[in-house]
Amino acid sequence: MSRILNSMRDGVGFDLILVGAAMVFLVALAGLPLVYNVVMSFQQVDMFTLGSLVRPFAGFTNYVAVVQQPEFWLVTKNTLIFVFASMAGQFIIGFALALFFAQNFPGAATIRGLFLVSWVMPGLVVGGIWSFILAGDYGVLNAILKGLGLTQATIFWKSDPNFSLWSVVIANIWLGLAFNMLLLSVGLAAIPRDLYEAAELDGANAFQRFWTITLPMMRPTIGAVLSLGLIGTLQQFDLFPALTEGGPANTSNVAGYWAWQMSFQLYDFAKGATISVMMFVLVLFASVVYVRSTRHEVRG
Amino acid sequence: MNRPFVPWLLLALALALAAIYLFPLYWMYVTSLKTGSEIFANPPSFWPAAPDPSIYPNTWVRRTMGTFLWNSVVIASGVTAITVILGTGCAYVLARYRSAWIDIGLFAILMLQVLPASVMITPLFVGFNQIGLLNWPRTAVVLAAAAKSMPFFVVLVRATFMSVPRELEEAALVDGNSRVGAFFSIVLPLARNGILVCAILTFMSSFGEYIYSKSIIQDTALQPASVGLSGFLGPNSTDWNSIMAYSAIYVTPILAVFVLLQRRIVSGLTSGALK
Repeated sequence: MSRILNSMRDGVGFDLILVGAAMVFLVALAGLPLVYNVVMSFQQVDMFTLGSLVRPFAGFTNYVAVVQQPEFWLVTKNTLIFVFASMAGQFIIGFALALFFAQNFPGAATIRGLFLVSWVMPGLVVGGIWSFILAGDYGVLNAILKGLGLTQATIFWKSDPNFSLWSVVIANIWLGLAFNMLLLSVGLAAIPRDLYEAAELDGANAFQRFWTITLPMMRPTIGAVLSLGLIGTLQQFDLFPALTEGGPANTSNVAGYWAWQMSFQLYDFAKGATISVMMFVLVLFASVVYVRSTRHEVRG
Repeated sequence: MNRPFVPWLLLALALALAAIYLFPLYWMYVTSLKTGSEIFANPPSFWPAAPDPSIYPNTWVRRTMGTFLWNSVVIASGVTAITVILGTGCAYVLARYRSAWIDIGLFAILMLQVLPASVMITPLFVGFNQIGLLNWPRTAVVLAAAAKSMPFFVVLVRATFMSVPRELEEAALVDGNSRVGAFFSIVLPLARNGILVCAILTFMSSFGEYIYSKSIIQDTALQPASVGLSGFLGPNSTDWNSIMAYSAIYVTPILAVFVLLQRRIVSGLTSGALK
């Protein structure tokens, strides 16, 4: 007994307690719910069986029912568009800004740091502000676009089915852009200066230097940033209730918000769990692809 | 060198870019000060004709923001406390050893970081309902949100512990300290700054937590400020100056803390997020 106590105070027992407490907590509140989610997706869940653990087994009926929902393919398409457009926008603009702020001028680091305020703001507030900016008749974005002569017509960003998804994409790009830029800046700062000087002596122009030095040297950073961007975009939820609530007619709905609507607006917890499982498989697939691709890179 | 004006040109361009990027924030403050008819003017005015700050106390009272913000503080404090207490020890152990088990643990934590809250909320809600935790809705939200924020915290704080030299801890052990003593008197004080920055980040993000609170807390008196805002925000909202005043009151403390600690937050993030 005293040996165990001693080990807790001054040995491996101490490490086991520290790591064990966190692991027990995470398993209880993240691991178990995940398993429970899969179980529920194969069960028949309604208001009568909500409180009991043992429910009628439903086989694949929930999955069939979800796929047969008329909006299923629309939501799938929207999810893919939302993820790829957000990631592309955040990454390209973020990379451009990171390259710009890597130049040597007074105040570069401080001004770059200010960009990060978008990242610490509550998502719902960001959605609210963009909801007003993107308003049709009195929105400031339309006024600016018209002032610049880019468009004549009034674009109803949130209520036009052709634009509703893009209004969320725009807000999401704004939200995640700064974090992308910051991480890419770290990667840029780690590239040795003399590589560029040597290339310049050899007569490489700016574009060639970017293509043959910056991009190859940044490869691990770019992989990490893209995977973090994918994670962040799949987790995005707050912007949807603030901007469009998935409407009009599900044209801006994505899997995460749809699952929540099923569970908490239609109280169909089985379908909500089923969509969650499908989305989790997507997330898992994406992270496995990421892990494999980085491993491949290290091996050369 | 022979073009001394170039840095200043770049600085001007940087300021212009920052102004464009931060325009939504400016728009929030300006809109909150506009009167009802000016908000719907087309084209919009970029400076309020008659600034009216009385909207702030009005919104505060009418939307019972005192209660909402207090609940946000309670929830964010609970989340931060659990995350820091459990996460710091876990990060320390993960930073101290290198073995296959540690790699598995790290991978598991990274996978947990990937889980979207919208995937977790359905099983959490049904599970909490079954064990009766929904009768203490704020506790339920704190537990759920702490599990959500802990992986990121562990990854960042682990990087901080990696930068504490092993030799210092070993010297303390040689001098007769126990593991517990060395941890609390040597390692923790050296990593204090990094832990503090990550704790502040955790607090900030859980201060704006929305999806768990919206789904779990039904009683208006217990809801946080994000749910209070969602009560009058949606695709068809019109009450824009009070929405913006509400948002301004809500985010100004976060923004102030961020601007004050900007340098530390940025360096804490950059050292951890990429390792």
